[in-house]
Amino acid sequence: MIFIIDDDEIMAECVARAAGGTVKIFGNAIEAMSAIADGELPDLIFLDILLTGPDGFTFLNETISYKDTVEIPVVIVSSLDFGERDLSTYGVVGVLNKDKMRPDDVRKYVEEYAK
Amino acid sequence: MDEEVNGILVAAHELKAPLAVLRQLALSFGEMDEKDEHIRSEMISVSERAIKQVNDLAKIRRLEDGLFEMEPVSVRVVCDAVTRELEYLFNHNKRELFIKYSNRSQLVVANKDLLYSVVYNFLLNAMHYSGEGTRAELVVRDCYDKVRIMVRDYGPALPMDVWREMKRGWVAKPTSIAMRPGSSGLGLFIASRFSRYMNAAVGAVRHRDGTSFYVELPSSKQASLF
Repeated sequence: MIFIIDDDEIMAECVARAAGGTVKIFGNAIEAMSAIADGELPDLIFLDILLTGPDGFTFLNETISYKDTVEIPVVIVSSLDFGERDLSTYGVVGVLNKDKMRPDDVRKYVEEYAK
Repeated sequence: MDEEVNGILVAAHELKAPLAVLRQLALSFGEMDEKDEHIRSEMISVSERAIKQVNDLAKIRRLEDGLFEMEPVSVRVVCDAVTRELEYLFNHNKRELFIKYSNRSQLVVANKDLLYSVVYNFLLNAMHYSGEGTRAELVVRDCYDKVRIMVRDYGPALPMDVWREMKRGWVAKPTSIAMRPGSSGLGLFIASRFSRYMNAAVGAVRHRDGTSFYVELPSSKQASLF
């Protein structure tokens, strides 16, 4: 299962469409954290950073704090420019820029981590 | 910063997310039949250009923080990258792009991203204002201890007031140019701000059958050390 966390509904739907398969969309980090706390462990998370409420890094701090979630691969989907910054300590396996990404970029991560 | 200009920059920032969504929507349709694919690719292309301008405007706000590093930059590498990106657009709009490098100084002191945007904006303007079947020209040459990147179009002449403003080396705010229909002056404003940051001057030459816009950047002496 793939989690998409983005407060922009249409952008989240575009990512879901590109990802295919079983996808759950969350409009904020709290909903996603609650789902994980209820035992839903995704194979891959596409995460926006500038979210309403707790931001993407607050979410990442949560996921890396627990044994059962620390291994979940996360792909940041944001319009922020992270340059060459290494975010692997947060469990981030990739960064997609909303301004430049294409559906194939999303699919690449799905193929690698959620098939 | 001028309040009016600041307002434009704030508005641009607000436009960024919806433009990115529009682009994603067009992409998510996937390839369509020939007739509709033309519309879809136009939607993608237009939104990509708009995102680029919005990002450039966002950069103007960050210029004051001095975060853009100046370094020796190869003019040719930057110009080649821009022309590669715009090649499709020129072909699609039936414009020819003529490129000539006659500069001996290969390196200038600049910021690569900002220089890219300056050349991109000049060429995009040239494409827009050159008529179908005509050409735009990109010429790079030495100019004493500077390198001049000049983009010539065959569109309407530049009005005297804008030309005078450009003579001082930069443009204070975006001004629509009545003789150039559809022009917001945004590209010129962006190019001017970025050039000013790089200690480069922008200028224009009026021709009877068009306009040449140019930017002059100081040559880097680093290569002469070898």
